[in-house]
Amino acid sequence: MGPERIDRVFSALADPTRRRVVEALAGGSTVTASTLAADLPITRQGVAKHLAALRRAKLVRAERVGRETRYQLDGEPLEDAARWIAEVGAEWDARLGELQRLLDRRR
Amino acid sequence: MRDRERSVAREAVLDASPEEIWEALTDERLLGEWLAEDAELEPVPGGAASFRFADGERREGTVLEVEEGCYLAFSWSRPDGSRSVVRFSLEPAVGGTRLVVVERGPAAATAHAGSEWTRRLEAFVAALSLVGV
Repeated sequence: MGPERIDRVFSALADPTRRRVVEALAGGSTVTASTLAADLPITRQGVAKHLAALRRAKLVRAERVGRETRYQLDGEPLEDAARWIAEVGAEWDARLGELQRLLDRRR
Repeated sequence: MRDRERSVAREAVLDASPEEIWEALTDERLLGEWLAEDAELEPVPGGAASFRFADGERREGTVLEVEEGCYLAFSWSRPDGSRSVVRFSLEPAVGGTRLVVVERGPAAATAHAGSEWTRRLEAFVAALSLVGV
């Protein structure tokens, strides 16, 4: 993830209500704003506003089904990035440990 | 796509002089003792960089930047074709030398159809903690 994308993701998730929306979608649900509002202590308009912010951060995907708009989490980029970050980070942690041991042996 | 780029940074203050670390970064025999099983590296811009790891994986690339004792950058490509750039920089620090390594990765075009959301979120939370939130 580039810094701009990270900024967008973090500002989208800085709001506790938006994190509740993400959690509500985290079970894999594909639901309307009304359904989400029923589960959360906010109005439908409030939910719609938060969903729009999450869509701008590309964390949520919207899909038109007839007259309804249904929302679901779009976390694939995050998952992919998270795996890469974890793997590459672990590789460098191990290598830097080896490097320090090598330098110690050469003293 | 720019917003799919990713990078990992690590830094360590190593108990050694910049010269000693520079040697470990650029001497093929020494690289073979910490970075990979076998390494070929020609520390000039445009030089070849080639690594073989303990699990048999090979990565091939090109040296991009060299400033002796200060920084070294090279690309390497994995067998799946994904290419990333590794950049080391050195600076004197209290207690030794600060080594910063940044690996900047590619956009991976992998699809993960049908992935489970719980796992995604766990991975996401792990990513957040890795970037220090």
